[in-house]
Amino acid sequence: MQPVVQFDNVTKSYGKHVAVENLNLSIEAGKFVTLLGPSGCGKSTSLRMLGGFEMPNSGRILLGGKDVTRVPPNKRNVNIVFQDYALFPHMSVAKNIAFGLELKGLDNQQIHRRVSELLELVQLQDYAKRLPSELSGGQRQRVALMRALAPDPDVLLLDEPLSALDAKLRQQMQIELKSIQEKTGKTFMFVTHDQEEALTMSDTIVVMNKGKIEQMGDPNTLYGRPGSVFVANFIGETNLLRSTVVGTEGDTTALNWNGVTIKAAQGGLAPKAGDHLYVVLRPEAIHCSADEPTSGNRIKGKVRQRVFKGNHTSLSVEVADGAVLNALVHPSDVAQLNGEDIWVGWKPETTTVIPDRHAHN
Amino acid sequence: MRNMFADAPRTTLTAFYWAFLLYLLLPLTLMMAMSFKDANFVAFPIGDWTLDWYAKVMQDKQFLEACLYSVMIAAASTLAATTLGTWIAMLIVAEGIKGQVIIFALACLPAVVPGMISAISLRIFISTIDMPTGTAAIILGHTVHAVPFVVVMALTRLRSMPGNLVDAARDLGADSVVAFFRVTLPYLKPALVGGMIFCVLLSIDDFVRTFFLGGYRPTLPMLIFAKVQGGMSPEINAMATLVLVVTAAVGLYAEYLTRRARTR
Repeated sequence: MQPVVQFDNVTKSYGKHVAVENLNLSIEAGKFVTLLGPSGCGKSTSLRMLGGFEMPNSGRILLGGKDVTRVPPNKRNVNIVFQDYALFPHMSVAKNIAFGLELKGLDNQQIHRRVSELLELVQLQDYAKRLPSELSGGQRQRVALMRALAPDPDVLLLDEPLSALDAKLRQQMQIELKSIQEKTGKTFMFVTHDQEEALTMSDTIVVMNKGKIEQMGDPNTLYGRPGSVFVANFIGETNLLRSTVVGTEGDTTALNWNGVTIKAAQGGLAPKAGDHLYVVLRPEAIHCSADEPTSGNRIKGKVRQRVFKGNHTSLSVEVADGAVLNALVHPSDVAQLNGEDIWVGWKPETTTVIPDRHAHN
Repeated sequence: MRNMFADAPRTTLTAFYWAFLLYLLLPLTLMMAMSFKDANFVAFPIGDWTLDWYAKVMQDKQFLEACLYSVMIAAASTLAATTLGTWIAMLIVAEGIKGQVIIFALACLPAVVPGMISAISLRIFISTIDMPTGTAAIILGHTVHAVPFVVVMALTRLRSMPGNLVDAARDLGADSVVAFFRVTLPYLKPALVGGMIFCVLLSIDDFVRTFFLGGYRPTLPMLIFAKVQGGMSPEINAMATLVLVVTAAVGLYAEYLTRRARTR
């Protein structure tokens, strides 16, 4: 199938600073795609280039197979939900939503029908005549979303639209956004620096770093099988165990980590003895117990810190040679871990390995 | 017991306040009081009160014509100044234009040049380009004088405008002209209305430029000046009182509008 959006070797630089470097990205129609990365990684620039507000220095941007690299924003069939909504302050909610429809040349009846249909989708029928200044943050967010959806764009672009909302409302809007995307079947391209937002809503996450794609995949893959140290650190909390390969046995690898021998799944790599690898160990994969576990990796440690987080307790456990592992403990298991000396254990198949790119062996 | 010396600064301040108020309002009050005096010369005591002077003013053809002329000039120069001022303000905030500081300084210059100098230079200018004195020349002079005020007011508003409003309009299919008329201009409206009222007041009030650039047809200030030279009479007081009340009302309304715009 023809991808709806294609970035073909796109580069954008401001003076000496390269914001986006040789970006190649295809987006399938009807998907919720998130560009995720820290500020300055090039995600917003990519979005603005697709919107038509920035011109790439080289490369092409294709929309529905057509080259739109040099097409001005008003002639592209994409719409943006801006970070601070950018609602027109002198127009009512209905007028804001109708703006794009009027410019498309629809007649009044069609506009009226479409506006009420969209307002109904977000339960704002009673607010049609209000001004944006008379709405709450969440309501403005919904109006901005409907205004951008109204002209029926090929792709809806969302530029960190949830960052101005408080935590509770943000979670609610994440679910609402996802359900609107599913109801309308539109392609959403969402930009955020918040990994939780990305994991909650996306079909595909594109992790960006320093103007390049670091890894692309569905949320499960990115969380469970991060391809680089950057991705492992950026998505979720993690323990990174820099280890040396001792030997392989079937599809498991034996590694030496700070003098302790641990086993890990190979994760598609073919490691040789002496290679340096990072083992990605998520805190929730660790099982803490007072007695020595009977199978899997196990290390004796001392509890250095306990942080109560409500639905779990976070433990910092000092193990071999002063290295610290972070573990999550379920409330029902905390009681038996009152002593300082405990065992940490995990199953080799719950971890993955990442090559150490900086190692020279 | 209260220490009267401790209260001294406060008392002095209050006294100065009332003295200033008296200084500000006494001449105006006297002028207004005299306009109701039933006698031919302006002096105390006021024996009988009358509205005859107002009736006379309202029937004074010269006065009415001068009023109309002033309003016409004010309307024309306000329209020109608002258009020019808005355009210059847009130029100053636009991206990718060099010398914006210089444009701003030049745009503001007419507001700080002394009226006398401005009037003389305008007179020299119009005779250089062979423009006759009269209506067109007065409108030109008033426009030049009013532009800086529009620029400053429009600029203040433009700088408070979220940058992505125009982007949003463009994104939804508006070209730059449509975006200007449907988004930028409505956003500027409160500032422009305030600016326009200010332009009108400046124009109606202007004497020096009008005097240098005018022809034989008198504007309101010129007419009153001529009448004063012919000797004070309560009729002039009545005229001045009318002008005062109308301009004060308009000025207060402008202030109300700009205040409302600021709180939005």
